[in-house]
Amino acid sequence: MTYDLQFFYVWQNLDKLGRGVLVSLELTGLANLIGLTAGFAIALMLRARTPVLRVPATALVELFRCTPVLIQVVWFFYCVPILFNLFVDPMVMAVLALGLNLAAFNAEGYRAAIQSVPREQYDACAALGLGGWTRVRHVVLPHALRAALPVLMTNGITIFQQSALVALVAIPDLMYEGKMLSTETYRPIETYTVVAAIYFAISAPISLIVQRIEARFDRVQA
Amino acid sequence: MRPRLFPWRKATETMVQNKLLKIHNLHKSYGDLEIFKGLSLAMDRGDRLVIIGPSGGGKSTLLRIVMGLEDIVGGDVYLDGKPYILRDGGKTKIDHKLQARVGMVFQHYTLFPHLDILRNLTLAPVKTRGTPRAEAEAKAMALLDRFGLAAKARSYPSQLSGGQKQRVAIARALMLDPDLLLFDEVTSALDPELVAEVEAVMMELADQGMPMMIVTHDMHFARNIASRVVFAAGGVVVEDGPPEQVLDNPQVARTREFVERVFARKK
Amino acid sequence: MHFDPTIPFKYWDALLIGLGTSLRLTLICLAIGIALGFVTSQARQSRLLPVRAVATFYVELFRGTPVLIQLFWIFYCLPMLIGAEPGNFISAVLSLSLYAGAITSETFRAALKSIPREQYDTCRALGITGLRLAIWVVLPQALLRAIPTLLSNAVALFKESALISAVGMADLMFIGSSIANRTGRPVEMLTAVAIIYFTVAFPLTRIVGRIEARILRRLAV
Repeated sequence: MTYDLQFFYVWQNLDKLGRGVLVSLELTGLANLIGLTAGFAIALMLRARTPVLRVPATALVELFRCTPVLIQVVWFFYCVPILFNLFVDPMVMAVLALGLNLAAFNAEGYRAAIQSVPREQYDACAALGLGGWTRVRHVVLPHALRAALPVLMTNGITIFQQSALVALVAIPDLMYEGKMLSTETYRPIETYTVVAAIYFAISAPISLIVQRIEARFDRVQA
Repeated sequence: MRPRLFPWRKATETMVQNKLLKIHNLHKSYGDLEIFKGLSLAMDRGDRLVIIGPSGGGKSTLLRIVMGLEDIVGGDVYLDGKPYILRDGGKTKIDHKLQARVGMVFQHYTLFPHLDILRNLTLAPVKTRGTPRAEAEAKAMALLDRFGLAAKARSYPSQLSGGQKQRVAIARALMLDPDLLLFDEVTSALDPELVAEVEAVMMELADQGMPMMIVTHDMHFARNIASRVVFAAGGVVVEDGPPEQVLDNPQVARTREFVERVFARKK
Repeated sequence: MHFDPTIPFKYWDALLIGLGTSLRLTLICLAIGIALGFVTSQARQSRLLPVRAVATFYVELFRGTPVLIQLFWIFYCLPMLIGAEPGNFISAVLSLSLYAGAITSETFRAALKSIPREQYDTCRALGITGLRLAIWVVLPQALLRAIPTLLSNAVALFKESALISAVGMADLMFIGSSIANRTGRPVEMLTAVAIIYFTVAFPLTRIVGRIEARILRRLAV
């Protein structure tokens, strides 16, 4: 078995892959914007006392967490336009699908983090006469955000990897450009290896940072 | 065959001239922090040693060293006159045959959560000593019965109170017929009302002549159970004598200061 | 065009076959993945640097790249490299198992790390060491602690398995979207597919919480 590796065509078309990377990063960035903000709002709704807020939030979270991302993306592409008579740029749909998916996972992360604030902290606040916004702003939030940070970052990179799915609905992201290039050049091994390496090179440093942060939290708590 | 419940009794009757435990010129440090600076201590077969001293003074570390859980920097430890722990070629050498004759009970019980109480007791003898299961179980049941825990044999540790768990931990250590039993703050994690049941079991063992080395914060209990009290501070033994001396009439200023501070609340 | 919820029911048998493929694939890959993951978690603690390095590289690579590209690589590149066509099913099993192995190895690693140090001290005091320590004390506790996360891994794997539709395997996703295309009824069909995935995954995620609570109670010593 001898296969002659030739990366020449890949190098020659690196600009295409570069454009793909930019699209992937744009998708990831916008999805994270939605995920971090909407996720927090949903987390608050999950903790609400009134079912009017709690039930739809729970349904949204569970729906996005318990179905494949692929079907979410495809559904947004083919069904949303028909259902709502809404025909917009495919990128918008992709961002919406990925963003809401991330929001659902982040909401869980936020919720768990808020729950991880020890009861004693609330008791101490009560004893010190700290209530309402002061308590949230200075005690609950700092603790919860710190606890949520590693989860939010991990989810953030996961959505970068999941964003490769949009290639299947012909959005020109890194995966899509790679697929095109591999068919054009008949060089799937070289192309897919380079594409995988690019994904890895972007994800790895961030997950390394997450590991560092978690290790530090572990040490602080020990 | 009836399992022997308290085999060390025989040992006390046939007193040997050797000291049970001898620690000589012990050195130990964690990084730059020197814990022991040439500590020496000896213990006879009939002794029940209670170690007292300031927190951070290495009382628990001393027990962990005697159990063979810690590396040492210098010195040697003899068990029954035989070299047990020593430094050799820059390494801590532990005689594992002798180590098997020492047992230890820890502050946080550390029962095996995945095993029921009976299995907690029989795991070590069956798996490491090759004791037949039936024999180990008979012995375990006898011990549990003795400690009022027979009904819990098939319960899991999470279903027991702290006091019960600690009594199980003591029974588990006894399963291996140790010649010396170490107690590391075994009542410190317990609710006050559960302390008595554990101390009662220890008193019973004391009455049977079980050699023990105990670290405790409970001075009242220390006075009751100890045959000797050792005050360790600054990395050495400062004072060593019967409880009436060390606790009530200390001869060394450093000890007096410590004891007065500890008892100050009660006066 | 009006919404006709009866359409998916006309194709229930085809969808069921697709679900069968998805489930079968998930279970096979989960079994292989758990075995692979446990071995990998041990390899990552190996004293030998090369063993540790290879295991770490494998885990980081499969966790750090999209599953889709792993799938494409194994479907399109591997046959060229080995000069043989392993077949769609084998390729799918291979790629999802490798992915499952990477994620479960992390699960086992976390489980091993969560066993308190005192358990090891106690075992030394009781003379339980080496292989006996691993088999009778460490492994059972690690497995118990890993069970909830392994279940979550199973759900994740089931969801990721939808990707194999992209390489033409007739799983639930593939069959659903094919029917959607042929009938021109994407809303009904794709929604039905989503609901089927949900119906399988959701109860599992609920069970995870329950089991976790029970195990933590048991292990709270």
